[in-house]
Amino acid sequence: MGYIRVHANVREYDVFARKARVEPLRQVGSVVAPDDDLAMAYARATYDEERWVEMMIVPRDAVIRLWGPGEPER
Amino acid sequence: MSLYSLVKSLADNKQLLGMRYAEWCTAAPSLEADIAAAAMGLDDIGHSRVLYGSLRELGTPDGASDEGDLAGVAYLDTPWTDWRQFVAANAVLDSAFSLMIEALANGNVEVLRSRLKKMLQEERYHAMHGHSWMREADAGDAVTQAWQESLEWFGPEAGEVDALQRQGTLTYGVRDLRRLLAERVEGRPPDTAIDWSKWDAIRRRTAPGGIDQATRDMLQGLAEKRYMPASG
Repeated sequence: MGYIRVHANVREYDVFARKARVEPLRQVGSVVAPDDDLAMAYARATYDEERWVEMMIVPRDAVIRLWGPGEPER
Repeated sequence: MSLYSLVKSLADNKQLLGMRYAEWCTAAPSLEADIAAAAMGLDDIGHSRVLYGSLRELGTPDGASDEGDLAGVAYLDTPWTDWRQFVAANAVLDSAFSLMIEALANGNVEVLRSRLKKMLQEERYHAMHGHSWMREADAGDAVTQAWQESLEWFGPEAGEVDALQRQGTLTYGVRDLRRLLAERVEGRPPDTAIDWSKWDAIRRRTAPGGIDQATRDMLQGLAEKRYMPASG
């Protein structure tokens, strides 16, 4: 089921976390928010079910993609 | 008016604020905000449990009304009907309570120093949420009410909060609390004068009234106990 986005301008953020220092960060989900502060609050509220030692968010539009599944290596 | 009553009022307000947040867990303007409302509700109900658990080490109630009644601000008496009320509570009231937690956590009462610091970490995200939504939602009237009631809740100058600061129990006095709240909300405090002659020192408010009996029963678990099998 779809839902309405209420903010005029939003960014999508990917959420990364890990449970132990020896583990790599892994993507645990994403959030959509109009600014970094709200994105951090949403990420913490949505993905706080585990005892993460680290959590971070990255604006998806800041990620530089080299190639994706099914695409030739560039 | 004692430290006990101040912490009891803080606990009561945290419990009510948590409940009001949670009421919006399926009604907020976006799915993310729904989840944040539920999570902040759980945080604040958890904070109230910690604060209630500290009371036995803080002396005794000031009177019968302090023991039985909830000492919550009027803003939390009834459910909010508009998201802007949520935003104002989140940005202003929650910040006011956090400032008092900060003042207690840095004061000289060991049980509060040791138990309250984690709350401040969680409250940082509440503040970010409220602050961002203040930029999105025009919550003018609700902000004025929440701010006015926060100032009432801090209490009058030269009252017991200032006395607790002089003892080192609190690291902020009333003027500090007012100034810091204005800095956190990034606005101008309401002009309305507070009629301190109507101020109830236990409930820390001037307005009469309170939550209804059904809500009180629910919060005290009485409503659920009606459905428990009789013992013996």
